[in-house]
Amino acid sequence: MVEDELLKTHRQELRRGTVVLACLMALRAPEYGYALLKRLDAAGIASDANTIYPLLRRLEERGLLVSEWNTDDTRPRKFYRTSPTGVELAAQLMNDMTDLTASLHAMNGGPER
Amino acid sequence: MTQLSERYLTAAIRGIPEAERADVERELRSSIADALEDRLSAGEDRLAAEKAVLEGLGDPVRLAAGIAGRPLYLIGPDLFVEYRRLLFMLLSIVVPIVAVVLAAVDLAGGDGFAGAIAAGISGGVNAAIQTFFWVTVVFVLVERVDAAREARDEIAGASGRWTVDRLPALQPSRVTAGETVGEIVTTLISVGGILFLSGAAWFADASGDVIPVFNPAVWSLWMPILIAVLVSIAGLHVVIFLAGRWTMPLAFAHAALQLAFSVPVVALALTGSLINPKFADAVRWPPLADGNGPAMLALAIGTVLVTAWYIFDGFRRARRADVRTSGIGEPGQAAR
Repeated sequence: MVEDELLKTHRQELRRGTVVLACLMALRAPEYGYALLKRLDAAGIASDANTIYPLLRRLEERGLLVSEWNTDDTRPRKFYRTSPTGVELAAQLMNDMTDLTASLHAMNGGPER
Repeated sequence: MTQLSERYLTAAIRGIPEAERADVERELRSSIADALEDRLSAGEDRLAAEKAVLEGLGDPVRLAAGIAGRPLYLIGPDLFVEYRRLLFMLLSIVVPIVAVVLAAVDLAGGDGFAGAIAAGISGGVNAAIQTFFWVTVVFVLVERVDAAREARDEIAGASGRWTVDRLPALQPSRVTAGETVGEIVTTLISVGGILFLSGAAWFADASGDVIPVFNPAVWSLWMPILIAVLVSIAGLHVVIFLAGRWTMPLAFAHAALQLAFSVPVVALALTGSLINPKFADAVRWPPLADGNGPAMLALAIGTVLVTAWYIFDGFRRARRADVRTSGIGEPGQAAR
């Protein structure tokens, strides 16, 4: 039985990069922070509010997301959308992820040494 | 929005650069409101819901640092190795120099031997604290200030482009016969020098008696002791040669013998009891024998520096030999 603390740490490490990928893919359709958070949650991609909000800003700074304030609703919300560069990056990362998963599966199924 | 949320927002916004403040506040405000609304519509108690939302966002200082892209550490891994390297290099240069200079200044100012040592130690400690502080401040600024990005890349790049050329050279740990003979000859020259100066008969007083160089009141006691210590040092070098390499116990023994020689010499010099005052008069330079005069001061400082080097060198060789024999395959150790 793996210790909880140990599992938690390694899970976090494993998920760190995938949250970025999930955001870039989810935001191909514009969404505001809180709605994105719920959507990721519903999709089974665990993420915290205190990582998502800073992450959105960082991705915007790097030109992978673009943002726009929408004041039509009951309260003003900042909508983020994946930029063309972001879409391209996400496609490449997704390929890598698929390859990586395939490799891990192969290793898992392969003969033990 | 209740007071709790307002307090949270105020705390978070404080850490955001002026230009982004309004935007960040607006977004956080609507995010908190959205999350709160969700929980309230699920039938939660208002206060409990608000607490849960804010606690979900975590420490506002941390959140603000994340949003502003500010590091949550003083010096990151990119700079740390260079930081440590520079710090140790400066400490090893600045601290001994400041300590010796301040001790010398104190002595020259007419203070006694004990006072000079105290001045040297407190000066060295101060120099260490100052060095540590300023080097750290500079690196923390380089880490955080945007304008210093180039400097940061430069430093990180310098430590990042590691090549095998930067590996420290291996020194042969085996003590050679040549080294040992060299050490013994050096020590025996010192013995010869002492005997020569003790026996020198360059001047005679009015009644025709020889004026010795060293103060006869103390020299009859100290000369044999100092010579015995020097001979022991030579003997120790033979032991080290036979052992094949320096070890920590040998380095300690070496340090003790070095101190046994230099402490009496420095004490005699600084109390003005090393040189015979009559001899100083005979060479027509009375300050020669003066404990606070330039000659004795120079002798004391020189002795301290040379002894410090010898002791340091002994421990360095012992540690190097230790690493060589026990540290094979342990990463990091050999690189130090």
